[in-house]
Amino acid sequence: MAKVQVLNVAVLDNPSPFGNPFQFEVTFECMEDLPEDLEWKIIYVGSAESEEYDQTLDSVLVGPVPAGRHMFVFQADAPNTGLIPESDAVGVTVVLITCTYRGQEFIRIGYYVNNEYTDTELRENPPLKPDYGQLQRNILASNPRVTRFHINWEGCAEKMEDSENVDPAPNTMLPPSCTPGKAPPLGLVPDNSMDCL
Amino acid sequence: MAPVLREEDERNENIPKLLCQMDNHLACVNCVRWSNNGLYLASGGDDKLVMVWKRAAFIGPSTVFGSSSKLANVEQWRCVMILRNHTGDVMDVAWSPHDVWLASCSVDNTIVIWNARKFPEIVMTLKGHTGLVKGLTWDPVGKYIASQADDRSLKVWRTMDWQLETNITKPFSECGGTTHVLRLSWSPDGQYLVSAHAMNNSGPTAQIIERDGWKTNMDFVGHRKAVTVVKFNPKIFKKKQKNGSTPKPSCPYCCCAVGSKDRSLSVWLTSLKRPLVVIHDLFDKSIMDITWTLNGLGLLVCSMDGTVAFLDFSQDELGDPLNEEEKNAIHQNIYGKSLAITMESQLSSTIIENPEMLKYQQERQGNQNPDGAQGIGPENQTPKLTNVLNGESLEDIRKNLLKKQVETRTADGRRRITPLCIAQLDTGDFSPALFNSVPILPGSSASTQLTPQISSDSSTANSLGLRPSHDPTTTSPNKTAEDNKDSGTAAVNSIGMKSNLLLTSASKIEPMKALDSRFTERSKATPGVTSVPLTIGITPLDRVKDSSSVKEPKGKDETSSDSEDKTMVKSMAKRKGEMEGAEVVEKRKKGRPRKDAKMMPFPQTPVSLEKEPSRLTTPIAVLKLPTPSIQKSFSTQVSTDGVTYLEVENEVSMVFGSRLSQLKWSREGREWDALLPSRIIIAAGSSDVVAVACEDRTLSVFTACGRRLIPSIILPVPMSALHCSGHFVMALTASAMLSVWDVQKQTALVKNESLNPILSGTDATVSQSFLTQQGVAVVSLSNGKTYCFNSSLETWNLIADKQDSLVQCTDFRNCMSAQDALGSMGPLALTQGRNLSAGRLASRLSSTPHHLQQGMTLAFLEKQLSSALILLSASEYRHWLLIYARFLVNEGYELRLRELCRDLLGPVHKSSSSSWEPTVLGLRKRDLLTEVLPVIGQNLRFQRLFTEYQDQLELLRLK
Repeated sequence: MAKVQVLNVAVLDNPSPFGNPFQFEVTFECMEDLPEDLEWKIIYVGSAESEEYDQTLDSVLVGPVPAGRHMFVFQADAPNTGLIPESDAVGVTVVLITCTYRGQEFIRIGYYVNNEYTDTELRENPPLKPDYGQLQRNILASNPRVTRFHINWEGCAEKMEDSENVDPAPNTMLPPSCTPGKAPPLGLVPDNSMDCL
Repeated sequence: MAPVLREEDERNENIPKLLCQMDNHLACVNCVRWSNNGLYLASGGDDKLVMVWKRAAFIGPSTVFGSSSKLANVEQWRCVMILRNHTGDVMDVAWSPHDVWLASCSVDNTIVIWNARKFPEIVMTLKGHTGLVKGLTWDPVGKYIASQADDRSLKVWRTMDWQLETNITKPFSECGGTTHVLRLSWSPDGQYLVSAHAMNNSGPTAQIIERDGWKTNMDFVGHRKAVTVVKFNPKIFKKKQKNGSTPKPSCPYCCCAVGSKDRSLSVWLTSLKRPLVVIHDLFDKSIMDITWTLNGLGLLVCSMDGTVAFLDFSQDELGDPLNEEEKNAIHQNIYGKSLAITMESQLSSTIIENPEMLKYQQERQGNQNPDGAQGIGPENQTPKLTNVLNGESLEDIRKNLLKKQVETRTADGRRRITPLCIAQLDTGDFSPALFNSVPILPGSSASTQLTPQISSDSSTANSLGLRPSHDPTTTSPNKTAEDNKDSGTAAVNSIGMKSNLLLTSASKIEPMKALDSRFTERSKATPGVTSVPLTIGITPLDRVKDSSSVKEPKGKDETSSDSEDKTMVKSMAKRKGEMEGAEVVEKRKKGRPRKDAKMMPFPQTPVSLEKEPSRLTTPIAVLKLPTPSIQKSFSTQVSTDGVTYLEVENEVSMVFGSRLSQLKWSREGREWDALLPSRIIIAAGSSDVVAVACEDRTLSVFTACGRRLIPSIILPVPMSALHCSGHFVMALTASAMLSVWDVQKQTALVKNESLNPILSGTDATVSQSFLTQQGVAVVSLSNGKTYCFNSSLETWNLIADKQDSLVQCTDFRNCMSAQDALGSMGPLALTQGRNLSAGRLASRLSSTPHHLQQGMTLAFLEKQLSSALILLSASEYRHWLLIYARFLVNEGYELRLRELCRDLLGPVHKSSSSSWEPTVLGLRKRDLLTEVLPVIGQNLRFQRLFTEYQDQLELLRLK
């Protein structure tokens, strides 16, 4: 059983201009004193097409973690716009918060993020080159996707050839070309997650 | 239970229905059981784990983060213990009477008995079944535990020594096929054990096994398919007295519910030949578990189809339930006073029979309370989850959290945030004191009723089928059944829909979008991730109401409100199976390196004999001890204190052609010296005497002031070792002869006694020898054995053996008080010191069967006691006596305890014929008894014994 349970993640400063830093207030509970720090990461998915465009916005160590309920705010700078494919700048993407212990990821919290122009005219006729100054980032805070992984809390993960961890067969990717203003269809569940319906 | 019982409450949105959802099991949960005190919940599942849950005193409701939003956990149940030992699915768990033990059985063919007071300690693993063990039941008296397995046998085990009492196979020999569970049950009066799935004339039955002789003459017949669950009503009933009719004395009887694979339920009274009621087709699938409410009138049944039915009986139907006193009286009548496991804490109902005992118990309570361990009454129950916010509200904290939180940079330049602790946990406290405390009940009335009302069971599965209407006049069981059936089907439908959704979601829903997949894949970048991406737990249910654009089948939302975590676990398991092992629930954590069953029962601690750089250790011919070589000069420290030195200088001066040797004694500036005509080989001293052995085989003895006490003693052979202690002198010669003299009384305690008995047959040598303050010679050999010579018996006695398995497997730590833990000082400790700690270590590592360990500890403690006695070591005798007494009290050895007390007390009336010695090693025996009695008083079970001796001591004191 996981020693750390994430109780809540509150998305602060949302919605906000694209350039604002991300702020997540994380509340978690720890069953027993952890001898090592937790490592939290915010990963911004630049493009649904490929992981190539994933940006780790920041990673922090959180510790020491004694048994109990804890809170912290994880703030990370906005993504580097230069690394985002221009075609994917506007629309729906994902931001991930992951936590690892002893190098093993045990929780992954995903949020849909909708980037859109606040200006109606821009919305109707988006410029070819995205104008990040005008973009507003809206994190769908009410709908986190939480995936928990079973890890070895006692010891370090045995070394394994990670290269074998090849991406699953390329999914038929649905470009995030949803019409602006409309939230993406979220009623679907990833097939490899065990959901509670 | 309120929403189950009353429709009105069910509709009331303010009454929470789902109280808590626990999602920590990684696979299908097979069994959940409340502890008898209602404080704990044990669950066992296909993930091979048993989890023990405890209600956490908590700030307020919370959700499982990321799960379906609206469902807050009204109650917080926290997993306080994970019990890992089974190597296969855990099928059934059962709390023993008084919650002393928790038993779990598994498809690994074993039953594990856990010490419920010291989780995760394993008391015993019961091995013997050759098939999957699928049901467990404790004898209500606590003397036995019964198990039923796929190997067509039902086994009854004794709790006294955890050995097999009986193995019943005959009624099961015809049994073919398998059932998912075989939950057997013991009647509340302890007289009958009723099995699940048995066969009689090729018809499925529930076999009745009589306690008396384990006879199998009766059975419950009628089910068309195998019986899966039998559950006795916790109450014993007696016939309802009708108004006006003459009261006829009638026998009390028991009530038993039988559930079967044929989807029907029958309820039997042991006073009737026919079933009280049979409900056919109650479910769509096999019955999985049954439980009665504590008042004995409600019955909850759950089925593989994912529904739970509630049946409500009236007293007219079942009879008048006996109250606890009447039930106890029945037990008392049948089993006498010897309720096998009665411990102080459970004897709350035991009447304290004498004021002395009461006073003593109250004092103990009083002593305990200042420790804060035992709160009395709810007002003392301060929530353990103490807020550490110093009066600030959570909101204030949150506003400034970013500014306030401490952020540092690590050496390699990474950000490190120190999280703000907002609350401390209250997990893991399994102290007996807490175990006895009152459950912390929340304000909500609905939930207050749940814990006490459901008896020690719940269901394995699935959603609660709520009884649609509450009709107080419903007395006919058939009608009740009808009602339930309806509700059952209703629930089935919803469940069916749910599982359809689950099963088809993978195939029907259009291919996952790239984004969605990102939520669940583990980042490749993370180093060291080894397991297959395994998704456990919850991805959130979409919040229909929160986001308007979500397309969501409506049915989901409706059913989710009454789904339990187990549903989820179960359906997860279903899906797991279909996903072709892509998500093998792989437990990489193989359990803590806790008590390892594979350990040898008698771990051989490496015997590292502390070999003194002794002059004696060189191997020599048998019975020829080495003699020290003559040195020009040497000095020794007199052992008893650190300031006295003996210095020897051989051949210091020549007088008239003969060489003189000098012995110099010094203590804090005072000194004296003596001249001897021969070279000194060994010198030894004590606070009273100094002895020197010379080359010419003479032994000279001086007082501490240097006055010669006796003329030189002529020894037959050279001296090998010499010791002084008090006014005793011990000489060990090269021919392995031992002598001990009392130089004050000028007597020989030991006269030329050969070491032959202890040395012959071994190639061991003398590694160490010393003399106790009381003049007992102790000789340690290089093989780890230590002997002393008892001058009154004129025998060599073994007092310590470092390879003795008894020593290494004993466990009496819990019999040691704080000051005992520091250890005793004395000759026994000196010879055993290292040894004992090794033993304690070993006992921690080995999983010696409890009864064996108990026996070994008993033997060991008795050996210690007699060794201390023979070494004339009074303080150690007292030390071990108290430990021994505590052990006897804890383990319930009444006879020995009685013998001990009798010996300590002696005859109350003086008689000349009595050979009783009033003292032992200078300690007054009755004083010892005064010390032992409070130990006895700790266990209410021995209150008679306590009173008896307390009174006699009092009587003697007044004389």
